[in-house]
Amino acid sequence: MSPLDPRLQEALDGERDPGELPADLREAYDRLIAAAHLVSATPHLSVASRVMAEIRHTAPAYHDGSVRRAVRWLGRPRAVTVRLRPVWTLALAAGLTAILLLPAGPGAGPRPGVAEGVANFVGHFPGARSVEVVGSFNDWRRGVLHLNDDDGDGVWHGAAVLPAGQHEYMFVVDGERWVPDPLAGRYVDDGFGAGQQNSLLIVRPAESSSP
Amino acid sequence: MLRIAAVLAAVLAGGPLSAQSGSTRLAGRVPAAALPAIDSLIATAAAESLPTEPLVQKALEGSAKHIPVDRLVTGVRRGLLQLRVAREIVVRAVRGTAVPEGHVAAVAAALSRGLPAPVVERLLTMAPNEAPAPALHAAADLMAHHFDPDSAAELLVDAHSKGLRGVRLLDVAAAANHELQRGGRTPAEALSRVRAMLPNVPAPEPVTRRGTKGS
Repeated sequence: MSPLDPRLQEALDGERDPGELPADLREAYDRLIAAAHLVSATPHLSVASRVMAEIRHTAPAYHDGSVRRAVRWLGRPRAVTVRLRPVWTLALAAGLTAILLLPAGPGAGPRPGVAEGVANFVGHFPGARSVEVVGSFNDWRRGVLHLNDDDGDGVWHGAAVLPAGQHEYMFVVDGERWVPDPLAGRYVDDGFGAGQQNSLLIVRPAESSSP
Repeated sequence: MLRIAAVLAAVLAGGPLSAQSGSTRLAGRVPAAALPAIDSLIATAAAESLPTEPLVQKALEGSAKHIPVDRLVTGVRRGLLQLRVAREIVVRAVRGTAVPEGHVAAVAAALSRGLPAPVVERLLTMAPNEAPAPALHAAADLMAHHFDPDSAAELLVDAHSKGLRGVRLLDVAAAANHELQRGGRTPAEALSRVRAMLPNVPAPEPVTRRGTKGS
């Protein structure tokens, strides 16, 4: 860098009238002053501040467009592909089934409808391996309504929600012995000529049981 | 608990399916040797506008019990004859009006319990437009406990005239039986005591899956 002419320095410092400078120095002076003005015009905010200010200024316009795009995306039909492993599908089905079958709490369970009632079956069959109830309510089908003797005292019991009305039934002990319910209180000849009687159950609608 | 719920669902799912034809329900369950005869009896009942469900049930019952074929068919035929008798009684009782649905089967069931036809007819005449099964069973209950059938019917007619309907008539029979079992009373005295308390015969305790209420 060449040293500054002392006359030019004095003019820049305001100690000499620039008009007294020779033409070449006057030209240099004018350039330096112009450069000084340019420097003084440099923005006082940083570039980052200016960029952030610009972003904040345009943000609302960007947000509106995003909402519109989201609405359009939601409203447009799209093919959705869900890939499930069979094991998880089965687990999900089992879970839903358990939720449907499990009672909500102690004593809960299927409640009889308007035209249904609850039938309790009890029989004393010491030493029996199985006791089931077969009757007109299940088309005389075996293996549907089993009684339980959880404590092994020979008293077998079970309950079922049945349609209100008359039902004929019998106990089947150990899968082969057909026995009338000794506590039924009502019996009717089964009509097959051997003098065997069916037990007769009259199920009251659940509503009518209330006092 | 899960087991009980499953049993209940199975019982309901396996209940009588009146929408299905008799033949469909009998196929595979009734011995092949008995099926044509039983199908014919059911078709006859249908042609005569008699209910077929009691015959289907009788066939299923006999098959489940492994009743020999000849006795099985005889049992179903006996059921058909009983339905015919029942309809005659119903027609006499509801004279001049259409035979209400369900009356014939209910009367046939009452006859199979041994209720005399005149008593059945009297109870039908008492309330021709009501389901007759409860009154008929109440009368049969009384008869089973050695009450005179006519007196039993009279008590039930009184109870009906005092506002007791449907299964409440069964409570009348239960009250009479209870009075009889208290000892020292004749059936006539027991009926008289129940007649005096009408219509306030006690109702049974509500039945729950765990037994009667409070147990």
